[in-house]
Amino acid sequence: MAPGVLTWTGAVLVAAVAILALAAPLLTSWGPEDIDPTAIRQGPSSEHLLGTDLNGMDVWSRLLHAARIDLGLAIISVAVAVAVGAAIGALTGYVGGWLDALVMRILEITQSFPTFILALAVAVVLGPGAVNLGIVVATVAVPSYARLVRTEVRTVRELGYVDAARTSGISNLAVLWRHVLPNSLTAVRVVAPLNVGWAMLALAGLSFLGFGVPVPQPEWGVMISEGTSDIVAGRWWTTVPPGLALVICVLGFSLLGEGLQERETRRRSR
Amino acid sequence: MSAGPLLDVRGLDVRIPVRDGTVHALRGVDLRVEPGEVVGLVGESGGGKSMLASAVIGMLPANAVTQGEVLFRGADVLTMTREELLHHRGHGAAMCFQHARAALEPMRQVRKQLADRLRAHRHLGGQGVHDESRRLLTEVGITDLDRVLAAFPHELSGGMAQRVMIALALACAPGLLLADEPTTGLDVTLTADVLGLLRRLATEEGRGVLLISHDIAAAALVCDRIVVLRAGEVVEMGPTRQVIDTPRDDYTRELLAAVPDIDRPLPPVDHRSTAAAPVVTLQDVHVHYRARFGRTGHHALRGVSLEVHAGTTVGIVGESGSGKTTLARMLLGLVAPSAGRASVAGTDLSRLDRASRRRLSRSVQMVFQDPLGALDPRRTVLDAITEPLIPLGLSNAERQERATAVLRRTGLDDRFLSRYPHQLSGGQAQRVGIARALVADPDLLVFDEPTSALDVTVQAQILDLIRDLAADTARAQVFVSHDLATVRSFCDRVVVVYLGEIVEEGTVAEVFESPRHAYTKSLLAAAPRLGGRLVDNPTAREETTS
Repeated sequence: MAPGVLTWTGAVLVAAVAILALAAPLLTSWGPEDIDPTAIRQGPSSEHLLGTDLNGMDVWSRLLHAARIDLGLAIISVAVAVAVGAAIGALTGYVGGWLDALVMRILEITQSFPTFILALAVAVVLGPGAVNLGIVVATVAVPSYARLVRTEVRTVRELGYVDAARTSGISNLAVLWRHVLPNSLTAVRVVAPLNVGWAMLALAGLSFLGFGVPVPQPEWGVMISEGTSDIVAGRWWTTVPPGLALVICVLGFSLLGEGLQERETRRRSR
Repeated sequence: MSAGPLLDVRGLDVRIPVRDGTVHALRGVDLRVEPGEVVGLVGESGGGKSMLASAVIGMLPANAVTQGEVLFRGADVLTMTREELLHHRGHGAAMCFQHARAALEPMRQVRKQLADRLRAHRHLGGQGVHDESRRLLTEVGITDLDRVLAAFPHELSGGMAQRVMIALALACAPGLLLADEPTTGLDVTLTADVLGLLRRLATEEGRGVLLISHDIAAAALVCDRIVVLRAGEVVEMGPTRQVIDTPRDDYTRELLAAVPDIDRPLPPVDHRSTAAAPVVTLQDVHVHYRARFGRTGHHALRGVSLEVHAGTTVGIVGESGSGKTTLARMLLGLVAPSAGRASVAGTDLSRLDRASRRRLSRSVQMVFQDPLGALDPRRTVLDAITEPLIPLGLSNAERQERATAVLRRTGLDDRFLSRYPHQLSGGQAQRVGIARALVADPDLLVFDEPTSALDVTVQAQILDLIRDLAADTARAQVFVSHDLATVRSFCDRVVVVYLGEIVEEGTVAEVFESPRHAYTKSLLAAAPRLGGRLVDNPTAREETTS
């Protein structure tokens, strides 16, 4: 009962954000980068629902359009991380031997850095920009997926149907692709949605520090960063809405991920 | 305590509510076990045997709806309080689980597991625990006490683990011992040992034993009475002799008919030509698993020589650990020979590259022991069957056509093509496994205990199918099994493997009627026979190891 409700709450939150992001141009008359010179740092009004920021840009419009970048980039970078991680994990887990040992040691070294520090380091090397930001987040997430998949592959490759496939005369790569990989993604299916929330936080965090999306583009981390000076002056509308948006997204993905995990454990224990 | 029966189940009815309806697991079951008696509870999976055992030790699912009584020494188990139940389990009735090695706690030595139980239930101290542990192990027939006490479960053989399991069950001196398929996965000699032990515990110590088994022949060896359970109902019950000799129920007859009879007269031998080049040639083949990561090396095959000709079926028999599975896996190219010459259909097994591996897979196919485990849960039956055709480069239509044809031949129709493994029964899954092995028309078919995971009546059907296939003279077949009666019933030649060596080889008549090696003799003596007696011959095994 309860896990079901939580999963659905998570799904509804995520879906709501996604719909708002897609429908952004319909929900506001202002473009996200349009400047209203007559209204700078103004509070919420009928013209500007959530007021304007220091450049005279509409906060409501920027909030909606930022969801496209934050949500989209988070999902894409996690998808890329899963694909690359699964490929590395499947290959090393299936082949084993020195290749496995070497790759695993390299992954362990990268994982021994605190994630955000590592992300910062990569971001400094790559420089700012939306695409680079996605690459940073994906890179940092690859090792954990690789290890997850590798562990499962090592179990699955010993199973009867893998032996059966190997004796059927299809190539090793085909055995890996047809049988081993699809049956080794159970943990990943659960962890990936959970990680989208983490990826959004990482994206926003890097942007807040100035390593992400350049200024005129709408992005929650940048919006919060730009609004820091407003907080002391009592102009809450430039920072609180993007902050809340982040909270809602992370919460949504966490609930969704935990719900999926719950369902998976039940399915296995049956 | 009283003169009444130890266990008296009266009109037990169990219903388990499930998502879409109710499972009627037991329907008015009556069953009695007297002290000193071994009662066999026989039937196939899903028949309610395990449910009945759970009821006796008070471990029915919490949502079960029950009627009737389970009286143990006059007290109803179904209405016991938590405290009474805890005392009842262990002191009253104790359970020995299937797959003993898996049911033992893997991280604790036997000594500690016994001590835990003796301290908790019998409040014994240091010296008491020590003496009682040794007494219990001696009672279950273990002689090298120090080694077993210090061993972890994975260091024990299957038979030894089962003995330890029984010793643990005996630790609280229970009046009734429930043995749930205690011989699953044990070969014939060990099965005989364990059954003999159960018999002795009843006869000499006056305990009641409820032996749960799908193997009516094994139960017949030691039981005083047999109860046949089908779909939650007792269909037949009576003294063993009476049930075996004059069964009244059709289902009992079906179970009995499915038991391969090792004493049935052999069919006339048709002398098939062996002039053609053999499909399998092994000359002094060794397989040595190298030691690594702290695991000790293992010499699985020691100098095996063998020829298998087209049109013949060769049975390979031996106990678990004898090397027969290694031999089968080597024929498929899954294990490489470490020394000697080995070839299948002209392909050298010791130097397999990509091309020769592909050629080999076209000439050898295997039918696996666990039929469901050999099918990818995410792929349909059609995918599974057509997979060996992929390297042949056929069109989709051709593949589907061949899959349908071969599936029909195994007795399934094309509706099964779109099913997934979880929608198949064990027997159906094994038919799919056979279809898959046949589809690329191999020169050699290897069967690895193809029926040991199946119910007896299904076993008989699958064996009939394999027997049909054996009639095809273009193909050679290797049948790996520890079931002598099955091997005898349709193999042409038999090879007996013991500790990695071939100790005896010959035609079925030669090996079964005049075995030369002591090990073969002990195997034959231990084979379960309907109406046979349990042969207690502990010296046979020592002789063969020398």
